[in-house]
Amino acid sequence: MNRRWSNLFVWAGTIAFVVAVSWQAWAGNPVDGTSLLNLLVFSLPLAGIYAMSASGLVVVYTTTGVFNFAQGAIGMFFAYVYWQFVDQTTGWGWSPWLALPLVVLVFAPLAGIALDRVIMRQLQGQSLVVQLMVTVGIMFALIGLAGLIWDQQEAHSLPPLFNGEGFNIGDVVLTWHRFATILTAVALAIGLRILLFRTRLGIAMRAVVDNRGLAALSGARASLLSGFAWGLGCSVAALAGILLAPEVDMAAGGALTLLIITSFAAAVVGRLRSLPLTYVGALILAISIGWSNNFLLFAGRWTNVSPAIPAIMLFIVLLLLPRAELRFARTHVMRKIERVSTVRDTVIGMAALFVAMWLLSRTLSDANLSRFALGICTALVALSLVPLIGWAGQVSLAPLAFAGIGATAYARLGGDHGSIWAVLLAALICMPVGALLAFPAMRLQGLYLALATMAFASFVELVFFAQPFAVGAGSRLVSHLHIAGFDFEDRRTFLLLVTAVFGVASVGVVALRRSAFGRRLIALRDSEAASATVGVNILETKLAVFALSAGMSGFAGAFLAMHYHTLGSGSNNGFAMLQGLAIVLALVIGGVACVSGALFAGVFGLATVLIQENWHLDLWKTIVFLAPGLAALGIIRNPAGAVVEIGEGFAVLLPWRRDARREAAELKAANAEPEVGELGLTREFEEADVLLVDRGLGISNDVPRATTRTG
Amino acid sequence: MELLDIHEISVQFGGLLAVDGATLTVEAGCVTGLIGPNGAGKTTLFNVITGLQAPTRGRVLLDGRDITRRRPYRRARLGIARTFQRLEAFGSLTARENVLVALEMRRRWAKSSYDSNALAEGLLEQVGIASVAHKRVESLPTGTARLVEVARALATDPKVLLLDEPSSGLDEAETDALGVLLHKLVGGGLGVLLVEHDMPLVMDTCAIIHVLDFGRVIAHGTPHEIQADPSVQRAYLGTTKTAS
Repeated sequence: MNRRWSNLFVWAGTIAFVVAVSWQAWAGNPVDGTSLLNLLVFSLPLAGIYAMSASGLVVVYTTTGVFNFAQGAIGMFFAYVYWQFVDQTTGWGWSPWLALPLVVLVFAPLAGIALDRVIMRQLQGQSLVVQLMVTVGIMFALIGLAGLIWDQQEAHSLPPLFNGEGFNIGDVVLTWHRFATILTAVALAIGLRILLFRTRLGIAMRAVVDNRGLAALSGARASLLSGFAWGLGCSVAALAGILLAPEVDMAAGGALTLLIITSFAAAVVGRLRSLPLTYVGALILAISIGWSNNFLLFAGRWTNVSPAIPAIMLFIVLLLLPRAELRFARTHVMRKIERVSTVRDTVIGMAALFVAMWLLSRTLSDANLSRFALGICTALVALSLVPLIGWAGQVSLAPLAFAGIGATAYARLGGDHGSIWAVLLAALICMPVGALLAFPAMRLQGLYLALATMAFASFVELVFFAQPFAVGAGSRLVSHLHIAGFDFEDRRTFLLLVTAVFGVASVGVVALRRSAFGRRLIALRDSEAASATVGVNILETKLAVFALSAGMSGFAGAFLAMHYHTLGSGSNNGFAMLQGLAIVLALVIGGVACVSGALFAGVFGLATVLIQENWHLDLWKTIVFLAPGLAALGIIRNPAGAVVEIGEGFAVLLPWRRDARREAAELKAANAEPEVGELGLTREFEEADVLLVDRGLGISNDVPRATTRTG
Repeated sequence: MELLDIHEISVQFGGLLAVDGATLTVEAGCVTGLIGPNGAGKTTLFNVITGLQAPTRGRVLLDGRDITRRRPYRRARLGIARTFQRLEAFGSLTARENVLVALEMRRRWAKSSYDSNALAEGLLEQVGIASVAHKRVESLPTGTARLVEVARALATDPKVLLLDEPSSGLDEAETDALGVLLHKLVGGGLGVLLVEHDMPLVMDTCAIIHVLDFGRVIAHGTPHEIQADPSVQRAYLGTTKTAS
């Protein structure tokens, strides 16, 4: 379709959508001066908060290339720190005017600089999924840490600034807190403008955006700039969090952390570059939300449309983005490539897994049998991402959304005696849904595609399950699987069933990797441009792998539904967006391109649950968040995944694996080459480099040379 | 007869005119050279021919058929193959698998059926890298990886092959072998467009040479004519006068 027409289509669709929704959900409030003023008084401060958070995101992304999923969680964490200072009863009762600058201008920037030094700097040149998952890990770690320090069983609340007092504009009250929020956002906009266009530092930051290597050559200290950007990003994140906290629920994994979706939507309006457009995006979003809060009344199946507005808008904005160019191969940090296991090895491994599970299951209690089954089901969901993320390099953050759709399909189609056909149908139904999501998203590359899937996951969580055709207001009972008169109701037989299913699916996935299609996906990941020039239809291939992955997720979802036995419609039904993110994260920690990585994801989730449930220590109460968060830091060292790393490390010790030793040596030699672009600029030219250059030039070691450096 | 006809192609990047009305033809059965200083627009022109870059103006014809608006994979199926100046091999696959990917795609549009594995071995043998067939391309030296790209391009059974500096990273013996290979390929009726900085290789293999400077074709002719052309010397050395 012609690009102009497709844009027109999206615009017309959006307007029709807004009009239709407004018509349907009109609450009947009069539209007059007062109500419109009310809308403004509600929306402008909100816009300010979104804009601040999104600006932080944009500044960090443009200077360092890292898209920060932890932006909201950082704000949440510092809102708690601030709470600790100012709370009168359990906190230290400081004055807000002392605590606010201390947190926003000292603690947050220091944390940002530390984050940059310790973690973010090592993300340069890593693949997108690694970059994203490390920040997702930080998000989870912060949720876990906040929960550990500030007991989530108790309610925490922050009073607004100025004791909640305000002033009247006509009949409408504008609190000083909200007024100050608006002013702060405006001040930040002016400040950033001056910083980026009038100061040396800012100009250097913009230069780094354009070309990091060139900027480094002309003397910009990229490392200094990235530290500054992270400090600034954290500072505005903290500010946004603290200003928003009085208006929302402060729960660690709640509204403050999920502010990211809203900030993403605003930032994408500015194409992750333009700050003025980001402000415009924030304003549009805030007014849409204000409009729905003030004039619309969503009830029943549509109750959650209002909180889904950011996700919907993020998706619409992504549709309007221009088509991305075909991607050439980028120089990555040398990867440790997954060893492609043979089908025979996988069959043996999976048979061993089944036998082990069979023996183990005899000793497990009912509760533990259930947890193990959940672990294997999770592994099955993670497995659906291996071809998509691991091989094709397309990042999807919506595995549980498709699993949820599959679960719903199975719950509806399974009948009283769940049939295997319902499971297969659940998978089949998800495939076109996946292709449908992928089709517009295919125009987008990497990060934008990931964001689109995230918006989709959020939409499914909030709106899909509440539909009467899906789950509706109550919940749906899910029947157990019956195959040829055999019933898998018993916890133990169910565990063995899902283990067997995982085994068979794994063998299938390995066989797929070794097929022509598998090779084509790897080729696509390594170089889209080269794939196209040997005749690969990129669109078709991407659609196929997306549909395949969605189908596999739906298949896994059917088993998840059997495991839960009832399917709810709330965000706690086991198919929430954040849980999906956790699965992606666990898969990447384990190894995104291999079957054992998926198994690791399941076992990892299981292990954290087992620890939390069995060891009633305060230290373990948030381990479900803390463990993946901290383990995510390991991805930086082992982008191929922990399982691969352990496997290779083990293989070189085996006497008959001479090939593994040779490969390890080759890899070590290849990785030893210095980054030439940075040599002498950000890294000193050392003795070892001299030797390397000599070797390159063919100068022998016995040539006499000056031993001391001059100058 | 003309196999590939590049007609009045212009490419504009913002204010920069990277290719400015370039016209050249590639004929079957011979090597056509495309030389010019760095930044002259050679690689951009390659991207236009293979469909990775849409031209601002102009047309690309293959066998008299206008393919200017065809998508890259369609052009590959019509018979255009290329290698890349900055390596675009499938790094995490082995050399053999790189060739297999192309062969498996070709199987989908070519009518003939064949044994991909045997053909892949043959192609690697032909470019002289059969010994590294089972090595991951990422671990190969640049020059060898370039030859993988050549084998991969040949696997699509092209009518015209675009080579973007194939000799860089090769030593002298390997470059000679490449020259022999080129002669053999065009002997079989293939048309080759060669971008190359190695002048002996260009002079030895090319039947006709086009010189690109600032996006324009400033000269074309036989190797002999090009060597004598004053405008070419100007483009390369900045002046006709030799430095004193």
